[in-house]
Amino acid sequence: MASVQKREIAPSVSVTQPARKRQRWIGYLFILPWFVSMIWFDAIPFGMNLYLGMTDYSVGPIEQANWIGLENFERMLDDDLFRQSLANTIYFIVFSVPLTLILAFSIALLLNTRIRFLGLFRTVYYIPSIIPVVAASIIFLWMFNARAGAINQILYAIGIDPIRWLTNPDYTKITLVIISLWGFGAQMIVFLAALQGIPEQLYEAVAIDGGGLRARLRHIVIPLMTPTIFFNLLVGLIASFQVFTTAYIILGPNGGPLQSGLFYMMHTYNNAFRYFEMGYASAMSFVLFLIILAFTLLMIWTSNRWVYYGDE
Amino acid sequence: MKEKLVFLGLALIVMLSPVMSPPARTQAQGPDCAGGQEVTITFMNWWGATREPLMNQVIANFNEICPNITVVNAVQSWDGREQLVATAVASNEPPNLIMTSRTETYQFAYQGLIEPIGSYVEASGIDPWSIFYESEIGNQVFDGELYTMPLPTAGGISGLYLYNKEMFRQAGLDPDDPPETWQELEEVTAAMTELDAFGIAKLGANILLVNDLSSSFVYWLYTNDGQLYSDDGRTVLFNSPQGVETLEWMVNFVNEYSDGLEAVRDFMAGAPDLTTADFPLFNELLAIEFVNVSAFGHLENTDPEMWADPEMWGVALRPYNADNPNAKSAGVSGLAFSWGYTIPVNQPQETKDAAYAFLEFLTTAVDGGCYFLFEQGRPSPVMACNEDPAYYDANPYWDVVLDSLEIDVSVSITPVQGQINDILSRAVEEAFYGADAQTVLDRAAEEAQALLDEFWSES
Repeated sequence: MASVQKREIAPSVSVTQPARKRQRWIGYLFILPWFVSMIWFDAIPFGMNLYLGMTDYSVGPIEQANWIGLENFERMLDDDLFRQSLANTIYFIVFSVPLTLILAFSIALLLNTRIRFLGLFRTVYYIPSIIPVVAASIIFLWMFNARAGAINQILYAIGIDPIRWLTNPDYTKITLVIISLWGFGAQMIVFLAALQGIPEQLYEAVAIDGGGLRARLRHIVIPLMTPTIFFNLLVGLIASFQVFTTAYIILGPNGGPLQSGLFYMMHTYNNAFRYFEMGYASAMSFVLFLIILAFTLLMIWTSNRWVYYGDE
Repeated sequence: MKEKLVFLGLALIVMLSPVMSPPARTQAQGPDCAGGQEVTITFMNWWGATREPLMNQVIANFNEICPNITVVNAVQSWDGREQLVATAVASNEPPNLIMTSRTETYQFAYQGLIEPIGSYVEASGIDPWSIFYESEIGNQVFDGELYTMPLPTAGGISGLYLYNKEMFRQAGLDPDDPPETWQELEEVTAAMTELDAFGIAKLGANILLVNDLSSSFVYWLYTNDGQLYSDDGRTVLFNSPQGVETLEWMVNFVNEYSDGLEAVRDFMAGAPDLTTADFPLFNELLAIEFVNVSAFGHLENTDPEMWADPEMWGVALRPYNADNPNAKSAGVSGLAFSWGYTIPVNQPQETKDAAYAFLEFLTTAVDGGCYFLFEQGRPSPVMACNEDPAYYDANPYWDVVLDSLEIDVSVSITPVQGQINDILSRAVEEAFYGADAQTVLDRAAEEAQALLDEFWSES
């Protein structure tokens, strides 16, 4: 029996192997651009960054860099601004990520209803996320100006004392959190696409069981949206760890009063480009990579408990 | 227009005069510039806005002498400048000539990324030490080598203030008797500052660069007979008794007469510089602002009406501490705004030669740097240029401007100055938020000294 099977298989292999090989090469060909890009733009810079993080590299030819082992990493332990910038970044993440998620999800829910001018509303809510961040930052700089800014003028008009949004260290981070909500449009679009993928029958089933809006949200929408929530949460977290441009424009390279808005990437930037401590900045970048990796793994691990993929 | 004609006439006289003729005239001229080859160089700089057409004119003037060298005027945005400069100078194809601050010049020289220009200068036959003010050219020397020549002045940055005479009149003060001492400055500010629900409505004097507290402190330190470093640049001195007294005075002044640091920052945040028409000094909302010599060009462009009437504005020297018998008005040169133009090493010899030819013209020629700065109403680091009588016609306070150059003290810095500035800024800011001046300055001095010691031990 075994010999018969072998005889049957052998001719078939001799016929299909070249075709399979060709198919494999076509597959490799398709992934080649990504692979080359990954090697060139990710793997090599990653390796170089790790290497530079263990040198005293400043600027100029890389041959001038001297190997100093883990000295840069040890230095972070004594760097007050490293700790402060990390703490500021975590504060920002704790408020910005969930608030953006809630806002994007809420607006997506509203835009998933059948109302007039739906297309207009969708466009209006999405536009902010494609406005250049520099332009938006400068607009916010004016809006939050304590004397002439629109926010304080409105607050004053309704009897609230003006707030020093950008000059009082107690307010700078929360101001940046408020500003960060501006970019919720990208997450909203992802939520909206996912919402539109929920089968209508499931809503009808809830209606038949006598459930209202709350029941639909609790038993249908949120469970089916958990993969999207997970995705947006992960992407939002990674982006928030790298918060830089808005804070840099609004508060300057040192992060405003008492470095209250000095975020991790700004401290890294200062070391790299203002102090020319590229080696130390590379080490900081690697540490940020490890932190983000740890959070990502933690979230993936916990996702088994709360993310529902439908086929489970 | 009249000033331009006067200047052009004088420029002609100067060009014909052997006494006034700057050594740039001796540089290679005609088709032999930089070996005579057709060369294109990229000039990376930050002379934007109203200065861009002036720089284009300088390039056109240069091309009359050196038609074989095409200079691409690559004006950059100030956003992300540090990143751009650092990556540009270290790249394999850098711009051929880059505008760099003194700290950057020193850092790049320390890393071997830019060419020393000593051999070019020697070949050209010019003597920069007789052309420029000594401190100006001295600022561009690192480790005994000259790396560039200056434009604009590093001096005249902190020794002056601009004041609104109308506000003096409104407050019942003599507009022709501006404050000369810290104590008089307090009186003037107390008489003028007004508050409202949003903070400061009208401010007597802004004694701070609100985003650069380090420089603010250093500028006042020198008007109290203090020093940032020892003369050899190796020892930190800013935590001296004069330093502590200066910081305490600054904190007290801002808290007592300006409603605190946050209020001043908010007041100044709306219009951060003199290029905007709603700058409070132009609108009788700020009486005294400490400015650098670029202020005159900005005033002329932004508020021509005010510029045209010397009864509306005045200029005086930075006040000093009258309680300190050794103190006097002083300015600081070389700490900030000390610009030069450096030649990256990573480029062919012919573009290096062409870059130097343009650098020499730009910084020393009458129709180069002299023209460029005169049109902005600011002094030149070239001594001969400032002797031009047309300056006195254009600016009624030109004698005060020249006085401010005279009182400048050059500060020796190292490539780690950027870090020290930030350390000192943090210390000064903490003092404004209630920390003890002596404590914060001592801590900052310790950190700064450690950086200096490390630098000098590696040099």
